[in-house]
Amino acid sequence: MEATANPRITCAYLNSYVGKNVIVVGKVLQLRGEEALIDADGNITAHLNREAHLAAGNGVQIIGKVNPDLSIKCLSSMDLGTGVDYNLANTVVEISHQHRSLFAYD
Amino acid sequence: MTSYGGYARTGYGTQGGEDGGGFMSASQQGSQGGERKSNKDDALRPVTIKQLVDCKESYKDAELSIDGVPVTHVTLVGQVRSVTPATINNTYRLDDGTGIVEIKQWIDAENPDKSPRFAPDTYLRVFGHLRTFNGKLSVNASRMRPIEDFNEVNYHLLEATYVHLSLTKGAAAGGGQQQGGDGDGMFVDSGYGAGDARAVQARLAPCSRNAQAIFKFLLNAAGDGQHISQVSSFTGLSNKDIMSAAEELLNEGLVYTTEDDETWAILEM
Repeated sequence: MEATANPRITCAYLNSYVGKNVIVVGKVLQLRGEEALIDADGNITAHLNREAHLAAGNGVQIIGKVNPDLSIKCLSSMDLGTGVDYNLANTVVEISHQHRSLFAYD
Repeated sequence: MTSYGGYARTGYGTQGGEDGGGFMSASQQGSQGGERKSNKDDALRPVTIKQLVDCKESYKDAELSIDGVPVTHVTLVGQVRSVTPATINNTYRLDDGTGIVEIKQWIDAENPDKSPRFAPDTYLRVFGHLRTFNGKLSVNASRMRPIEDFNEVNYHLLEATYVHLSLTKGAAAGGGQQQGGDGDGMFVDSGYGAGDARAVQARLAPCSRNAQAIFKFLLNAAGDGQHISQVSSFTGLSNKDIMSAAEELLNEGLVYTTEDDETWAILEM
């Protein structure tokens, strides 16, 4: 067992998590080489790694580190297809910040 | 429950059977308490891995509890971080973003195909029971399956939060769980307070249209009861119809007669 959390965040929370590992669920808006623009209740730039296989228009889950310029250095990415409920994903982010005892180590 | 116990004792007491009464109420309460406990023990609890990480035994072999409720069976979701295969079981490290926990998947020796090995990064739904070994908690999986619809991950996190809140702050209004705790409590002591409009509706539902119309009229009428002539002039029903409809409402305990047998008012409004 390990007490390490990767908090789920949206664009609005980037500021509070600089230098930390986070999970972002969003929609791929653009792919530019090794960079992707992702909409997670606001646009986030993600610097992808070699293994990334993403498709514009699909959902994606990115686990990565927040850079000082509020972009994300991607450690792992997962294509989620087209059936992702983004409102649901954003709601979960809000809930996980409201009820931290279930999600985060303070 | 208390009122029932008191009633039973009084009844037996008059015949000198105090012990009988006491036994009755004790056994009644005892069995109910037992049911409640086993229900909670066996309940399948949706959890986040953080909740398991925080779940410490207070002493050796103590039963594990989350939010003060004993827990054995859990369901969780998470991504496989690593797999350690062995002859009789596979050990997974499962990560749901709130922590990491070990999952033991036992391999059926006769049907090894029934226990497929899941690749790293796969999202899994796990059902299993908690076990502790040398103070370390893990989950013995009785069933594991890959998650096909990613939204299930988010639903699970919301469900775990919902159950946590239900247990710590009481069930949500309209959930019906609080009322279920005490059988008929909803009619006896809570009157027509919040949420009981449904109870009234439920009792009104089997009544005839005439009865429902009269009830509606009485509900909106001012004063301490309406005479049959006022009911008649409003609803346009004959006295005979009104009397039979009023009979229904009386039987349902929705209205009561006030000055005479032909004047009614809403009960407990």
